[in-house]
Amino acid sequence: MAHNHISADQVNPGKFELSNRGKTIFSVLSFLGLISFIIGLSTNKEQTWHAYLLSYFYFLSLGLGGVFFTAIQHVTKAGWSVTIRRFSEAMGAFLPFAAIGAVVLVFGAHDLYSWLDVEYVKKDPILAGKEAYLNQGFFIARLVVFFILWLLFARVIIGRSTKQDETGDKMLTAKNVGTSIAFVLVFALSYSLFSVDTLMSLEPHWFSTIFGVYAFAGLFQSSIAFMILVALYMMKKGHVKGLVTMEHVHDLGKFLKAFTVFWAYIAFSQFILIWYANLPEETIFYYHRSHGTWAVISLALIVFKFIVPFIALLPRWAKRTPGHLAAVCVLVMIMQYVDLYWLIYPNFNGEHASFGFIEVGLFMGFLGLFLFTTMGFLAKHKVIPVKDPRLQEALDHHVSY
Amino acid sequence: MIDSIIDKVNNLLRSPTTKGVVGFFDDDHECVVAATKMREAGYKHFDAITPFPVHGMEEAVGVKRSPIPYVTFVMGLTGCSAGLFLQYWTSAVDWPVLVGGMPMFSLPAFIPVTFETTILFGALSSVAAMFAFNKLPKVDPPVLDPLLTCSRFALWVPSTEPGYNEDKVKAFMEELGAKDIKSGEF
Repeated sequence: MAHNHISADQVNPGKFELSNRGKTIFSVLSFLGLISFIIGLSTNKEQTWHAYLLSYFYFLSLGLGGVFFTAIQHVTKAGWSVTIRRFSEAMGAFLPFAAIGAVVLVFGAHDLYSWLDVEYVKKDPILAGKEAYLNQGFFIARLVVFFILWLLFARVIIGRSTKQDETGDKMLTAKNVGTSIAFVLVFALSYSLFSVDTLMSLEPHWFSTIFGVYAFAGLFQSSIAFMILVALYMMKKGHVKGLVTMEHVHDLGKFLKAFTVFWAYIAFSQFILIWYANLPEETIFYYHRSHGTWAVISLALIVFKFIVPFIALLPRWAKRTPGHLAAVCVLVMIMQYVDLYWLIYPNFNGEHASFGFIEVGLFMGFLGLFLFTTMGFLAKHKVIPVKDPRLQEALDHHVSY
Repeated sequence: MIDSIIDKVNNLLRSPTTKGVVGFFDDDHECVVAATKMREAGYKHFDAITPFPVHGMEEAVGVKRSPIPYVTFVMGLTGCSAGLFLQYWTSAVDWPVLVGGMPMFSLPAFIPVTFETTILFGALSSVAAMFAFNKLPKVDPPVLDPLLTCSRFALWVPSTEPGYNEDKVKAFMEELGAKDIKSGEF
């Protein structure tokens, strides 16, 4: 308690400005993404849509992960995380762009989802049986409902937080509890269905009831990693002196480790049931992914998405050393990309992976847009919720051993 | 006969009394500051007694991190390999049974049990290590003052402190600003 005693009513964080250099870099990245999208569409239309879905799902998940993290802080009435909550709220600022991205995705849907081909479905009794769910109208209707819900909840939950910066109204925090509980329930269902619609239905004959949880595990793991990177960056730049400390980063590091284990647990749960039951319509998923280049990627996932981050995050010092922790976060974020690649690409390619400038370009494009919205949000609002009633708890936060 | 059993139980649960000096402080903050100074003055075996956990007290008193995590890690690895070996030996070496056409040594099938033995060994040995490091089941810490579980804060220097000298310790406590100092056998 005696180390850095800041009283909640004296808090006055410095203003975070988006530097011109940052703006230029983000714009160039987004522009490169757009260019490669256009070039890709005119040269290799199908692969471009695969790459689009991959990068789109990646960054949509980060944005939703930010809102989800914010919501669980409200649900649990967490005090320790108040000063880092703005970082997760900032990630939600990407969601309006993600909604536009969903509209774009609908245009590419025919190159991605074979069940949209009515003639093909008629000839296939299994797909015909799934037609009540897997059809164009219902697919678009679901997307519309999901995005309305996500945007609405994000706007209300995050809007109350930024409004509180101005008014200091403590009731806003109380109201957010109920809203957040509702969001967590809505999110659990909608994100599961969304992952089924956009990723699992790429191979429409295959099914796995745990797929939504698997997608969520990746979402949360990578969102925490991104939050840690933002927190470390803001600390390094000195915008949050005494407000966000290694104590907060340490606890985020624990979150990252916990959900690294969670991902492995869920991934294995999905694998072992399919492996044991050994039914051809289920094993086809792992059959593809255990041959050729995909086998190497499957092994890489086990090693670099679970074993390496798990061991690297085990000691206490690992979660309190910025350089080390940042390296693990970057690894986790790269592996999240590889994971989605591994979910999407084997459905279209034979035994061999293909990766080129279209994938890199689209990723850069989304990255630029995502950073622009996230960092722009932090520049527009105060870098921490300065009038949150639980702010003092976060300022005094201390991880004891 | 019964008396000797009671004696044995008593010996197991109780530790011998220790001589020492107690200094009392008014609040947690003063106590942390005093503990920091005491550690910096070279005291090794002293302790702080407070009615609630005080942030920063571990660092102030110089409490080292618990060695339990290392025990957990090593025993977890032991449990992991023991569980895996047990299944390998029973189902592939000693009594091979073909199940569902899978190989005798089927790693995926063995993971759940391997996971469980890892947790089992790790958790049980953590508890055992906790008992050992805390010298449990001895549960009678010296009762320095009944109010220490209620409203008072104290630093306690037992006579096991290297170079212990009651008068010197008392003088130092006074220098630290202790409001009340007492010595005796606790």
